[in-house]
Amino acid sequence: MSTTSTSLQGDREQRTLVAATAQRARERSLATRDLVLSISTPILLLVLWELSARYQIIDPRFFPPPSQIVTAGYEMILDGELWMHTAPTLMRLFVGGGLGAISGIVVGLLMGSSRALNAALGPLFSALYPLPKIAIFPILLMIFGPTETPKIIAVFITTFFIMQINTVSGVWAIDRKLLEAGAAYGAKGFDRFRFVVLPGAMPFVFSGLKTATGTAVVVVTAVEFTGATTTGLGYLIWNSWQLFIPEKLYVGLVVIGVIGAIVTTLLSRSEKLLLPWRRER
Amino acid sequence: MNARKSSSAVVAEDVSKVFFSGQDPVWALEDFSLTLEPGSFTCIVGPSGCGKSTFLRILGGLEERTVGTVTMPDDGQQIPAAFVFQEHGVFPWMTVLDNIGFGLRMSGLKKAERTEIARDWLSRVRLDDFADAYPHQLSGGMRQRVAIARAFATGSPLLLMDEPLGALDAQTRMLMQEELIALWEQERKTVLMVTHDIDEAIILSDRVIVMSGRPGTLREDITVPFERPRTFDIERTPEFSELRSRIWNLLREDALTAEENA
Ligand SMILES: Nc1ncnc2c1ncn2[C@@H]1O[C@H](COP(=O)(O)OP(=O)(O)OP(=O)(O)O)[C@@H](O)[C@H]1O
Ligand SMILES: [Mg+2]
Repeated sequence: MSTTSTSLQGDREQRTLVAATAQRARERSLATRDLVLSISTPILLLVLWELSARYQIIDPRFFPPPSQIVTAGYEMILDGELWMHTAPTLMRLFVGGGLGAISGIVVGLLMGSSRALNAALGPLFSALYPLPKIAIFPILLMIFGPTETPKIIAVFITTFFIMQINTVSGVWAIDRKLLEAGAAYGAKGFDRFRFVVLPGAMPFVFSGLKTATGTAVVVVTAVEFTGATTTGLGYLIWNSWQLFIPEKLYVGLVVIGVIGAIVTTLLSRSEKLLLPWRRER
Repeated sequence: MNARKSSSAVVAEDVSKVFFSGQDPVWALEDFSLTLEPGSFTCIVGPSGCGKSTFLRILGGLEERTVGTVTMPDDGQQIPAAFVFQEHGVFPWMTVLDNIGFGLRMSGLKKAERTEIARDWLSRVRLDDFADAYPHQLSGGMRQRVAIARAFATGSPLLLMDEPLGALDAQTRMLMQEELIALWEQERKTVLMVTHDIDEAIILSDRVIVMSGRPGTLREDITVPFERPRTFDIERTPEFSELRSRIWNLLREDALTAEENA
């Protein structure tokens, strides 16, 4: 009697396990399908582009077939032209963006923690924030001349404002209860900042960094369009248009896209690493 | 003797608190007075919204009183009171162990010492396996246990607990009640605890303070006669039932008048 009941139980356990395994297998095959779809869609589009350009369905003068763009890119890598334009853009992005992000975060944290400072600077920054930064660029050129400084400053200002505003929101979004818990357990001054305010604001800081990356890439490209420089991917794109070399124009476009994608991916990765306490999504 | 006793007691005199929601003042507390003798366990019961949390927060220095005086024990402790919040309030960015050791860290204990104490409390609330887990990986009841352990671990002689067992399931709740009794009987801290559970109030405390509906005033101050150490057996005595229905009647009158006013 008891043996039959245990074997019955074993049976049921077996069936549950089988069902669970099947469920997991289904989930996995769905994940594989998603991956295949996400890769094959762009490939399919590229093939379509290639074919329609070759058979002149679309005008190859405006849309050169991808194979030509790849060849052009390869040649530009070999003769060093591509790096000559990529390096200055990277420098402007990382120096301007890096300094802008750091100071934006610091100022945002200070404004988030000090009511007086926020009263003093908050309205001013809110008024300046929607100004198109690119519109200030001529003033910067006037002040600094056609050097690297105005370009770096343009990127700096862009990142600074985005980070400052996001960080302040991050501090304000911290659960009141947690600030109180900090206070109740004696966290004052720098400890309060280190253990409560800073970690509490981090999720907003990271989402700000991702937004800022996108905007900084736009601004650096636009600044390089202006003719205030003869280097940079923005210049490459603009100049290729003027000389009508569409392949090079597309090479510039692709490299800028790749830079943006890499930085954004790095940010997501480091967010996962640095904020292990966030609910997995 | 008497002087020393009163110097380590918590005394609140005629405390009132008025909030402003928009233009209208909300009287959360009115002329509320209470003295907590050192080493006593006191529970506050009262209708929802009568100002229980507000009173606790005033004692804990988290809220300013509108008028009245509060005297806290002056014993050179860095943290005057350890707080357990109604909704736990553990830090999502710290592991369970770091959360429990947080108060100790703030009072400047070295890492080795505070880890030892935190581990001890970790096992007392039966979370040994979760030392390095983050709060989002725990259940609601487990998080609440972390909050309780964090409060006890500070070693503060005064514990203010706002419905610390409210979020627990019935079984865990009973176990935690037993544990609270045992802990308190060992350590004899001064405890002020808010609860909605009349049985819990009687089992745990020396005194039950019944508050009236908003604005919160002291309605009745009841001494619980049961001997210590206590067990759940007292629930079966006629005195217990009598006490329970007495408190329940006090609360019911208030609930009824509140309903009439609404
Ligand atoms: N920050 C605040 N601003 C305005 N009103 C408040 C504030 N905090 C509390 N109140 C009001 O004060 C009253 C008492 O609130 P309190 O949280 O002390 O109630 P409580 O007795 O703890 O209730 P519960 O048992 O539901 O937790 C409530 O009516 C509430 O609306
Ligand atoms: Mg409350």
